[in-house]
This record gives sequence, structure tokens and C-alpha cells, in this order.
Amino acid sequence: MKKIIPLLALLCLPAFPLMAQGILGGHVTGNIQLDGQISHADSLIGATDVPENLLSNTRADILYTNGNFSAGMRFEAYLNPMLGFDYRYKGMGIPNYFASYQGEMVSITAGNFYEQFGSGMILRAYEDRYLGVDNSLRGLNVTLRPFSGVTIKALTGVQRYFWNYISENIVRGIDGEVNLNGLIAAMADSRLRASFGAGFVSKYEPDEFIATQENGYKLNLPRNVGAGAVRMDMSYGNWGLQAEYARKGQDPCIMNNYIYRKGEALMLNATYSQKGFSANLQAKRIDNMCFKSSRSESGEMLYINYIPAITKQHTYAFLNMYPYATQTTGEMGLQGDVMYKIKKGTLLGGRYGTDIHFNGAVITGLDTNHIGFMGTDGYTSSWFKTGDLYYTDLSLEVAKKLSSALKLTCTYGYQIFNPAVEGHSGDLHHNHVVVADMTWKVNRKNVLRFEAEWMGSDSKYDADVDDKRCGDWIMGLVEYNFAGAWFISASDQYVYNDGNKANYYNISVGYTHDATRLQLGYGKQREGLLCIGGVCRQVPASNGLTFSLTTTF
Amino acid sequence: MKRFFLTVISLTIGCFAMAQNATLPQNITLKALDGSTVQSSAIQNDGKPIIVNFWATWCKPCNRELNTIKELYEEWQEETGVKIVAISIDDARSASRVKPHVDGNGWEYEVYIDQNQDFKRAMNVVNPPHTFVINGRGEIVWQHASYVEGDEEELIEVVRRVAAESGN
Repeated sequence: MKKIIPLLALLCLPAFPLMAQGILGGHVTGNIQLDGQISHADSLIGATDVPENLLSNTRADILYTNGNFSAGMRFEAYLNPMLGFDYRYKGMGIPNYFASYQGEMVSITAGNFYEQFGSGMILRAYEDRYLGVDNSLRGLNVTLRPFSGVTIKALTGVQRYFWNYISENIVRGIDGEVNLNGLIAAMADSRLRASFGAGFVSKYEPDEFIATQENGYKLNLPRNVGAGAVRMDMSYGNWGLQAEYARKGQDPCIMNNYIYRKGEALMLNATYSQKGFSANLQAKRIDNMCFKSSRSESGEMLYINYIPAITKQHTYAFLNMYPYATQTTGEMGLQGDVMYKIKKGTLLGGRYGTDIHFNGAVITGLDTNHIGFMGTDGYTSSWFKTGDLYYTDLSLEVAKKLSSALKLTCTYGYQIFNPAVEGHSGDLHHNHVVVADMTWKVNRKNVLRFEAEWMGSDSKYDADVDDKRCGDWIMGLVEYNFAGAWFISASDQYVYNDGNKANYYNISVGYTHDATRLQLGYGKQREGLLCIGGVCRQVPASNGLTFSLTTTF
Repeated sequence: MKRFFLTVISLTIGCFAMAQNATLPQNITLKALDGSTVQSSAIQNDGKPIIVNFWATWCKPCNRELNTIKELYEEWQEETGVKIVAISIDDARSASRVKPHVDGNGWEYEVYIDQNQDFKRAMNVVNPPHTFVINGRGEIVWQHASYVEGDEEELIEVVRRVAAESGN
């Protein structure tokens, strides 16, 4: 035996350089994120004690790449899930893994994948770790690029549901896109750029017993539900036009109260842009387009498609206090956006120029005529008539560099908010928001930032509804970045005048080194909706310590 | 027996050590601003350094970073030959606003949209902004998460070093 081992080792030696190129020659990369939280009761803001004392969410993505081949997996641990995350995430494991080949003409992924057809109105498997949404599909995803300018995608899979995959409910889809400038040689350098695409998605779900409320009849449920979409993307010089239209078959589900009406959605977008000026106008109409792989699933899980909100995604706290959540059952919207840069050396532009950004959006419900409840077509709706006002958002932002060290951004916003969007009754809220944000670059290694915000609202706090956003608000924030690595910030938000008077103070410290970032925070967090892309998650109030560590390697 | 394991272990470590820096992922599909699809292998700069920056229209620090660099870009290009490739991770909500946003801000960067976030995942980006420096051989030699005013000075220092190594 002793003699055989050195012999074996010797025999293995020539294999190592080969393995080094073949298997070991690849790269292992990844990222790790750890978030934790300690929260104590505070009756004023509605925070409760955490029985575990410490809550934490951990996630690690490990990716192995070797040429066109890659394989990866994700470890997740929720011990226990942080406040606002669904408790069904409790536990740990490896919910996501895949192997993939990305060639020039062919890409194949087996295992978990994320995919999107067009803008996602009929299919978008995506994830957002901050929302706790992971709609990844597990199955097979193939992309073909047979000719220049032509892309064909085909997929089949089942969707992730917390720690499980609902294996009975299958999602299948096919999508094609043609880019004329890539396909037709004569159009390669044309000023007219044009792409056309079409997709079809079908879900299969076994039958189940669901009875109508009125007379207890069992619903005749479709086991296969299809949805299709066509789209175009054209531009000529400075002008651009995108359009997408989708339809969905009969899909009675809990989100539409089991009606048999077909779904429909239209998105239009027109832009004009040149250096220093741009304008765009978006319109959408969504009617009964909630598309899930399980008909009885309410909430944010198991969505097959994605209907984006077209309102602006604000970053300032008070402009974001009443975020808009997309109403997949029905809405109409119009959004306009204008950016203009006043040139340097002009009266208003000054030495450095001035940036002006205006955004306006109006979202309404549909104008519908009720025709029945469960088991019927539900309602009819008029294409061009609008229903109740859901949301209005106007904002004007002026940003100006005052000197080589000072930069000031001032924003005014006006919002009208209908509590019905969040499923509550009550009067419309009218809010005025003013923000001043100043950055002072003291020197190469020291930067100070100040932010002041005010919100005046006609909303009044009502103990029965207990919406802690009601009332007028004021806030201040100071942030100090030093040595290109550290930051410390302190802020306080105070609600007064018809509000549930409370202070929400916060202190944060952070350190960044290359792609590693550590952040510690202590303070009070208001309860509210965390919304990303029109998808929202309710986050309860918290009072205490939070920490976060992220690294990419 | 012990020697055998030591040999195997040291050979294995040796093989890993032979591995060079990770390179830019190839064949990931991105959208150009004119609506055409582009493979990530098209991100090239004739052997000169590349800055790959992940950003989004709604991300304040990203916009601060790209606006700050805008003022310096010409100077940087002349000095080091660097090219900036700005990858927008805007999703369906705001992807149609990327082109107007880029033009409105007067950015001269090469911009691609990574709407399905395949490139973001392949590069292990957690949050925007996230900046990578790629050397002339396509290897990722430096990366940095987040942006505060002044970070661009460290970035250009790295680019200068990379440019000097590749003899530009």
C-alpha cells in the first residue's frame, strides 16, 4: 500500500495542470450580506419587544465561472427573520442553485434562473432581497441567438415559495425579439432604430374546490391560463417610442375575487432627448392583470408577471412617506418627466450650470360597471374613462453647484394620496414637501452633508386607524464622510400638528473598504411601507440597534 | 501517507494560486440605449483600462458619482485612455427613463441597461453604486461599493496604476 500511494501521486501529477485549466482554473466569486436587528418596545411609535432579542438575515451567493460555464448557489439564513420579513422565511438552507452555459449563440441555464419578457407584463421572475421577494423559477431556461438581431427565449419551471417550490404549478413561456438594425445589413447604420418582440406565457395549476359565496356552486377553474404580449421599441434621432400590449386569459383568483374577466394591459412611452435636455411621457392602463402561479395566493409571492408603478421613485424620506403601490387589478396612469440643464456662464446657470428636473404623475382607478361577484365576469370597464383618483405626485428639483466645494439641491413636492391604495378608507391626503440638501466638500478627505425636510399635510391622526404618518413633519440630517472610508450621520424626524407627536431619531456609522461595507445604526424607525418598483412590504416600527455587513469578493 | 496528502494539498493550493484575477463575464446580454442587444464581451478598450460602474436613475449617490466624473472624464481619458461603461440596473419601472436621464445629464459614457440584472448578479453587485476597474487583459483588478464625494480620486489613482502597468 505504501508503495502504491507515491505511484498514484506520480500518476496524478500530469493531470494537475490540466485540472488547473479545466476545473481549478476558473474563478470563484461571491457576495455575502449579513443584517441584524435588536429592537425594544416603544408604545409611542408602536414598536414591540423582540422575544429572540436578536434577529438576523444572512445571505451568501457563491459563483464559479470558467469561460462560458458558470455554476452558483445561494445560502440564506433567517434566524429569525427581521421585522417586516415574512415569518415563513424562518430557517436556513440553500434555496437557489444553478448551472449555466453562456455561448454566443446559445445560453442554457438549468436550476434557478431569473428572466423577463419585454418589460415583464406577462413574465418577470425576479428577486429583491430588501422586499423579501424571490420569484425565481427553477427549471430550464434557453436563449437562442440564431442570427444577428434575433433573440428567442424559451423556459419552463416552478416558482419559489419561501423554502419550497410549488412543483404542481408549472410556468412555461416563449419569447422572440427582432432588432431590425441587427438583422438587416442595410439598416445597420440607419437613424431609425427598431425592435419588435412578442411573448407567450402559460401556467398550469391543478383543479381545486372553490365555491361561490352566494350559492356554494363549485367554480369551473381553468387549469391552464395563458398570457401574451407584443411590443415595439423605435427611435429616430432624438425621438423614441416604446409600446407594449398584453392580454391574459380567464384567470379567476383570490386577487380578483375569482372573476372570469380577461386581463389587459397597455404601456406607452415617448421620449425626446438631446444633450442637456430630455422629456418623456408615459401612459399605462392595467385591467385585471394579476398573474400568479397559484390562484389562491394573496400577498407579494408567486407573481409571474410584474406591473411597474410609473410614479417617480423618490429618495427623500418625506417624498417617500406615501409611496405608490401598483394596483394590478386595475389602474390608469400618466407620467411626465423633464430634465433641463441651464448652461454654464448664463445668468441662471452661473459658473457651473444649473440642473432642473420636473416630474409629474397622476394615477386613477378604472371606471367600472359591476355585473357580478365570484364566478361571473365581475365588471365591464370603459377604455378611456378614468375612475377614482389614486395618486398625484408633482416634484420640482433644482440642483446647483454654488462653488467648487458647495452643492445645493432644493426640491418641492406636492402629493395627493388616496388611502384606498393601501386598502384603507378615508379622505384624500394632500401633502406639500420641501427639501434642502447641501453638500460641502471641506477638502479632499472630508465631506459634510446637510438635509432639511418639511411636510405639511391635511391628514389628521386618528387613533382607530392608527396611521402614524398623519400630521405635519419636520426633519434634519447631518452626515460627515471622512478619509474616504468612514461616515457618521445623525437625523431626527418629528411629527407634530394633528399628528401622533413623536421623535424618530437615528444615528448611523459606516465604514467602506473596497467592496466591503459595514454599517451600524441606532434609533427609531417609523412603521410604514417599504416600496421598490411599486412592490411594497409593510415594515413595523422598530426601536434599537441595526447592523449590516456586505462584501463582494 | 502524510507526505502524500501534503503533496496533494500543496499542488491544489498551487493550482488555485495560479488562477489569475477574475475576468469580466462574457456573453451576458445587455441592452444598448438604441434598443439593440449587446453581449458583455463587447465591453472592450483596446488594452486600456475600463471603469465599469453599476448605477440606477433613482440612486442619488450614483448620480452624484457620475456627475462628478463627467467633469473629469475628458482629462482622465487623455491621461490614461480609460473608458467608462455605465451599467444601469433600472427595471421596467424606470428603464425607459435611462436614455433621457443620460442625455439630460449630458453623460458621454458608454451606457447599457441590465434590466434582468444578469450582469449585476454575475459581478456580485449588492447595491449600486458599485465600481470596478478592469485592466487591459479584461481582469477585474479593483472594486469599490458606494460613493461619497472624493472617492473619484482613489478611483483615478487605481486607473493610473493600471494604465502604467499596461504601458499606456
